[in-house]
Amino acid sequence: MSTAAVTYTTPTTPITRRVRAYFAPVNRAAGSPTIFDPSVNGAFNLDAPPAPWIDLGWITNFTRKSASAINVLNVGSPAAPQVQMRELIGATLSFRFLTWRKLSMALSAGSEHMNLLAPAAGATPNGSGSKGVTAVALTAGSTATSLNIASASLSGFAVGQMVVVDSDYAGQTGYVGSGVSAAYVQSAASVNNDPDYIRRVSFNVALVSAVTSTGLTLAQPLLAGAPANGMKVQVIEGFVDREGGSFFQEWSALLVMPGEQGERILYYYPRLQPTGGAQEDTETLLAPLEWVALNASFRAMPVIDANDGEQVLCFRSFLPSPMTLV
Amino acid sequence: MQNAKDTFYVTLRTRLATLNPNRTMLLRGVQRPGILVEEAEAVVPMLPADVFVLRWTGLSADVSLPLVLARMECEILYTTGGTQPASGLDRGRAVEEMDAEILNLLRPNCAPKMNYTQTPPAQMNTPVFWSAADFTPVVTTRDRLSRSARVTVFAYQEPGEL
Repeated sequence: MSTAAVTYTTPTTPITRRVRAYFAPVNRAAGSPTIFDPSVNGAFNLDAPPAPWIDLGWITNFTRKSASAINVLNVGSPAAPQVQMRELIGATLSFRFLTWRKLSMALSAGSEHMNLLAPAAGATPNGSGSKGVTAVALTAGSTATSLNIASASLSGFAVGQMVVVDSDYAGQTGYVGSGVSAAYVQSAASVNNDPDYIRRVSFNVALVSAVTSTGLTLAQPLLAGAPANGMKVQVIEGFVDREGGSFFQEWSALLVMPGEQGERILYYYPRLQPTGGAQEDTETLLAPLEWVALNASFRAMPVIDANDGEQVLCFRSFLPSPMTLV
Repeated sequence: MQNAKDTFYVTLRTRLATLNPNRTMLLRGVQRPGILVEEAEAVVPMLPADVFVLRWTGLSADVSLPLVLARMECEILYTTGGTQPASGLDRGRAVEEMDAEILNLLRPNCAPKMNYTQTPPAQMNTPVFWSAADFTPVVTTRDRLSRSARVTVFAYQEPGEL
């Protein structure tokens, strides 16, 4: 019996043409990021990331920098380096989103990101949206892609509308928002005790694809999954961010460089907070047509690696191409 | 890309019928607005006079976006010898009239993308949009003046679209 000769390839310089970005919520109240384990999911299908990662598409201008500082202790005469110490760990990254959507806008602006609730008749105008049309209660049996609503309330909805689904604000303080910590409420008075406040900042949004006799069918699943008891739905007109605000978004990020030889480089940042304000760049498509792309920049925050207790900011993984010597 | 090309042509044809109802042609036995797609008609040795001829040339695609953005180059060719009553002495005015019509046909520079392979045609989710016209110099060939206007037509390729 003989075996076919096996050939191997010597390692080569990875060649990639683009970077893809995925983000997942950090549980701010518990201080726990979304874990990405490259040994389990490193080779995932780029079009179908593992839950709860959200695909934000290809990005450009990806740059990451280490801000870590290493110092040396010189001893003796003449002095000679004896010990090195890591004085500071730090890391930043920046890139440009190619698409505008709720999440890319929020990550780019960095602070509270609001939904423009469909305004109530006669409401006082306001820069981040006025008081909304009264929210509609969901009935039992709603799922992440279908919302059950009393038939008498269906007339307020239409195919193609965007909706937000979340709880009424009930005077609580701290992080609010279903699925994602969307804002931090310091006091009920600061948000005018507005029952719509959580829906104003919530990431639990979707597009309506059908209105049936029993409710709404959504074109995309709600980020927080099946609605909890007591949640309500409101129509939204769009989104608004602000230059300013005291809140910092915090998300887990996964950036993937697929190599041309089948290799893959993955950057996993468990905790990222934005370092910039709302800013976009334009690039000429064909004058006078211009792309308008969202810029985003972040600072990595530390986590403890469970394997050795070290404080780290980022994990860089490399999955070599097949049959390549290591 | 075919839906975008069809939409661009039908949009211009509809606008021409309103803008200048007198610019018509007899094509395959049917009287219709004076605009045609070259690749969809019989091959002819010379461009018909006083009508607009759409010629699709370049194509590029940006595949880094969630929806591929197709960029199609369209040349709108037109030629005129003026009118018979004026013995062709009005050919300069005639070409200027067609220049002006091109500018008006292209405004507004977008239209809902339609799928004309269905009956009735179905509106798609994304629009088709295009650049301003880039006119070439007039070329004189015997008694005819000819010019073309280059337009770049953009369209996102929707899921499942050919």
